[in-house]
Amino acid sequence: MSIWRRNEAWIGLAAIDSLVFVLLGLLHPSFFSSFNIFVLLNTIALSTMIALGQMVVIAVGQMNLSLGSIGGLAAVIFAGAMQTIGLPPVLAVLLALCLGLVCGLINGFFTARIGISAFIVTLATFAAYKGINLGLTAAQPLYGIPASVKLAGSASVIGPVPWLLVPSLVITLLVWFVLARLPLGRQILAVGGNRQASELAGVSPNRIVILTHALSGVIAAAAGIMAVARLQVGQPTIGDDWLIPSFTAPIIGGAVLSGGRVGVAGTVCGVILVSLITQALVVFRVDPYYVQFALGCMILCAVGANRLRMGRRLGAG
Amino acid sequence: MNKSALSPLDEPRMSEEMGRVGLTRARLAARLASPEFSIFALAAAAFGLFALLTQGFDSPFNLFSLARSAAVNILIGLAMMSVIVSGGLDLSVGAIGVCASMASGAAMQLLGWPVAPAVIVALLVGAALGFLNGQIIARSGLHSFVVTLGTMSLFFGGMIILTRGQPFDSLPDAFSDPMRWRIGRWLSPMLPLTFVVAAALAYLYRLTDLGRGMLAVGANSQAALLSGISVRRMITLSHALAGLLAALAATLLAMRNGAAITSMAGDLGQDWLLPGFLAPILGGTALEGGRVAVWGTVFAALLVTIINSGLLLLHVGDFWVQFFLGVLLLSAVLIDHLRKHLLAKRRPSA
Repeated sequence: MSIWRRNEAWIGLAAIDSLVFVLLGLLHPSFFSSFNIFVLLNTIALSTMIALGQMVVIAVGQMNLSLGSIGGLAAVIFAGAMQTIGLPPVLAVLLALCLGLVCGLINGFFTARIGISAFIVTLATFAAYKGINLGLTAAQPLYGIPASVKLAGSASVIGPVPWLLVPSLVITLLVWFVLARLPLGRQILAVGGNRQASELAGVSPNRIVILTHALSGVIAAAAGIMAVARLQVGQPTIGDDWLIPSFTAPIIGGAVLSGGRVGVAGTVCGVILVSLITQALVVFRVDPYYVQFALGCMILCAVGANRLRMGRRLGAG
Repeated sequence: MNKSALSPLDEPRMSEEMGRVGLTRARLAARLASPEFSIFALAAAAFGLFALLTQGFDSPFNLFSLARSAAVNILIGLAMMSVIVSGGLDLSVGAIGVCASMASGAAMQLLGWPVAPAVIVALLVGAALGFLNGQIIARSGLHSFVVTLGTMSLFFGGMIILTRGQPFDSLPDAFSDPMRWRIGRWLSPMLPLTFVVAAALAYLYRLTDLGRGMLAVGANSQAALLSGISVRRMITLSHALAGLLAALAATLLAMRNGAAITSMAGDLGQDWLLPGFLAPILGGTALEGGRVAVWGTVFAALLVTIINSGLLLLHVGDFWVQFFLGVLLLSAVLIDHLRKHLLAKRRPSA
């Protein structure tokens, strides 16, 4: 019973996801087409990274407004390293990931060691990282992407399963493993749930906060790299529109912004729901403008629902 | 000069006077040590520096454009400040601003309304959207961050659906004329206008029950509730005030552009977040709420505008300016933090 309750949120969401998927397919048969599913999975692969990058910081009760800026900076460094220095893609990926790590460490350092609120730190680095990105590229896209990277972003492993889903799945499983199976994950959730109590229990909250910001930076960089592969261009604008989606999916998945309650499965289900709805608007030729409106509605409905559920649980407990 | 007026009878009064002089001196010292003054001094120093370093920084042309940009930045900062005061924040200020300005654009271009009622429409739309934010936050008890994150997308998306992303660019000349007015050689009347707004806010927070109530809610909402202040009302009104000020800022921006454009505050109004938070935080408004520095916000917005314009004239490149503003925000908070740390260290020994 208790296990069922703990998983209630994401199982319910998974059911809603399947229902929406089947419903959309019945209403519009081409929704089940191989091409449409390929596009859908590609979107989900990238959106999952964006959502997880935010989710790990939400887990400790903080936020990372600079997520998109880190992704964008990693994207142009990744593309730039291949175009200008001719770095092999694998090394360029490593370079971009390291950059994401450094960006995340900077966020974490100012938040944990200096003690400035994560909101202000990441608002400042949001501008600073974006500024570096634009300063380096002069807002010009980088077109010198090797064919192998372009292929990785557009080819499918088998049938409608895109290659991009592979790194996305690996990172998702890793994050799940860390959060659910490793002591580190328990410590992250403990710091988010009750910082004071976790400190008394021997956890170093500062270390955990820095680690989560670093993790968030690396995941954001991975998302930036995947975005380059998908767009086939090193666009400096990558990451500009990640802020809202990065919060939407974890919140739909039942994450509480005050920390301590996040779930990888819930977040992935949230990503799937958002992607399905976004894709549906495209397939049904609804104005793409409705997407933002829908996202806003979804955030408000989801926080309202989380609130009610929490209230009920507290009332019952 | 007045010595002759002092008769021996006035001796006791004289000592009283001297006491008062001492008091004002202490007060003056306190004023000089206040964050408001230091940010003002910093703005003046930055102005002097750029005037020396670059050509044309203090030309009437540049001063005129500086004054106009400063007016917009000050209002954006004041809008964010008025929610921070009550312990919240408003990510949707930019979205509200654009919505309000598009509403006035529609009123003028589609309905043929004169300028004055159209501007009133903008202000009402801004206040109404802010009011909506405040109501959702106050009634649900959710944090303003997540609520305004949602409404930011909701408002902006709704506006784009209604306008189909099209600008209103054939507005009457009377709308953009005020932006061309000059007092003397370079002073745009928009800057004094924002000072009037700031003075009104300073009055609100210092001398009215409403303003004191907002501050009390920001400092400790539980205590405010227990002392009979309606927390819901204060939160709702502070968000409505932010919406109103955001609408005013957007109206000035639209006047300057001569058009109401959906992208005037960037995607989802995100571009207003940095100036919005920079000004109050640099100016000494506590992010936790309960402490306000209206003039600090004004001078900080002025400082940011000066740095922005100066860096552009130094040919640092448009794109690095954003980097500098981010670093500025971080260092401002860092310095403030160190100051508090040092003060806390010194206190026990004293």
